[in-house]
Amino acid sequence: MLVRFWGTRGSLPSPLDAEAVRAKVIAALLAADGRRFESGHEVGRYLDDECDFPLRGTYGGETSCVEIESGADEFVICDMGSGLRRFGIDSLRRTAAGQKKIYNFFLSHFHWDHIMGFPFFVPAFDPGATIRIFGGHDEIEYALRRQQEKVSFPVPFDLLSATFEFKTLATGETHRIAGLDVELVRQFHDHDSYGFRFERDGKSLVYSTDSEHKAGVDTGEEMFVGFFHDADVVIFDTMYSLAEAVSMKEDWGHSSNIVAVDLCHRAGVRRLVMFHHEPVNDDEAIRQIHLETIRYEELMRRGSPLEVLCAFDGFELEL
Amino acid sequence: MGWDCQQGDGVVIIAPGGPIDRENAGDFDTRLLAAVKSAGGAGDRLVIDLSGVNYMSSAGLRVLARAAKEAQGLSLDLAVAGLQDTVAEIFAISRFNKLFKVFETTEAARKGQN
Repeated sequence: MLVRFWGTRGSLPSPLDAEAVRAKVIAALLAADGRRFESGHEVGRYLDDECDFPLRGTYGGETSCVEIESGADEFVICDMGSGLRRFGIDSLRRTAAGQKKIYNFFLSHFHWDHIMGFPFFVPAFDPGATIRIFGGHDEIEYALRRQQEKVSFPVPFDLLSATFEFKTLATGETHRIAGLDVELVRQFHDHDSYGFRFERDGKSLVYSTDSEHKAGVDTGEEMFVGFFHDADVVIFDTMYSLAEAVSMKEDWGHSSNIVAVDLCHRAGVRRLVMFHHEPVNDDEAIRQIHLETIRYEELMRRGSPLEVLCAFDGFELEL
Repeated sequence: MGWDCQQGDGVVIIAPGGPIDRENAGDFDTRLLAAVKSAGGAGDRLVIDLSGVNYMSSAGLRVLARAAKEAQGLSLDLAVAGLQDTVAEIFAISRFNKLFKVFETTEAARKGQN
């Protein structure tokens, strides 16, 4: 199983501006300290080997969209944030090479940042494509049609020529979709959100974003410990600091790196992927939070280590 | 969980002891909220002396957050003091050092200045 991240930001797209790119170039040149490079390959090796990630790259600005290559000859995608546009274009390359034009989407919820990429999803205009959209809510079709009403978008949903199927999945059951065993859990978020657990060939992946874990004791965390249990990878909403999540931004429906580590430790998870980055945080800030989370995991570890990874647009993870 | 409480000159100092995690967060919650209500009702300041706490998970931090909210409702002056290195690091990572007034020692907290 391979996980590919097409969008990792929360709330709204947040591209780098010219000044941020300029600052990275200046910093990378200064760090090279007058060294002479003979080729682009040498420059690339210098960047990869000697420069921290924020210096040579960016976590990206696209909103939530995560692809799962399950091994079946169909596409599997979690959420339709702005990252979906690039996935759609890339999928055309792969369908041209022979992959089936079957797209299976799992929607956590319908807040704007999780569906805004769909009007720009090119395969939706392909009469040979089948697009299946799954979720825990009843209003899947309504949410996508409403987004393309005239007041918001010039192309109405009815002009899309792919074949569409919408299906609401029940919690507490295992669903067999695209070669994956899929379970879902209802999460605390305005109008609810759903987390998904995918399993195949002994590998397990949890996608749990836009999920707040409330302050205080007896807050239902046991259910999530059970849902995450023994997972190879958990993709988790780490948008806020714990202090923000329990004070000013309480009830905003998001979680923190601290709760992520504690939950994953309790559940025996092997790898945590920090996700749904706060758009006001620049690359340096996200890198710092990632390093702090690695340190927190070390401080709190009482059993097997939990590897802490930080998602970025373009990140690929093999299970 | 160890627990000590001292009162004088309009300041209540409570001192939990040992690690604070999921196992004893409920006990911590009960004792701390009672102290907040008591100090708030008496018009005293409340200092949580964490010098005897060597470990605090998110369960303990969230109890502190709940107490802070309760204190705000009572206009209670609440501070923490005496953080061991590990707990100080956890406060920095969780940004609880921005949520609470943090003093190096209980004496500094009693005086209200580091």
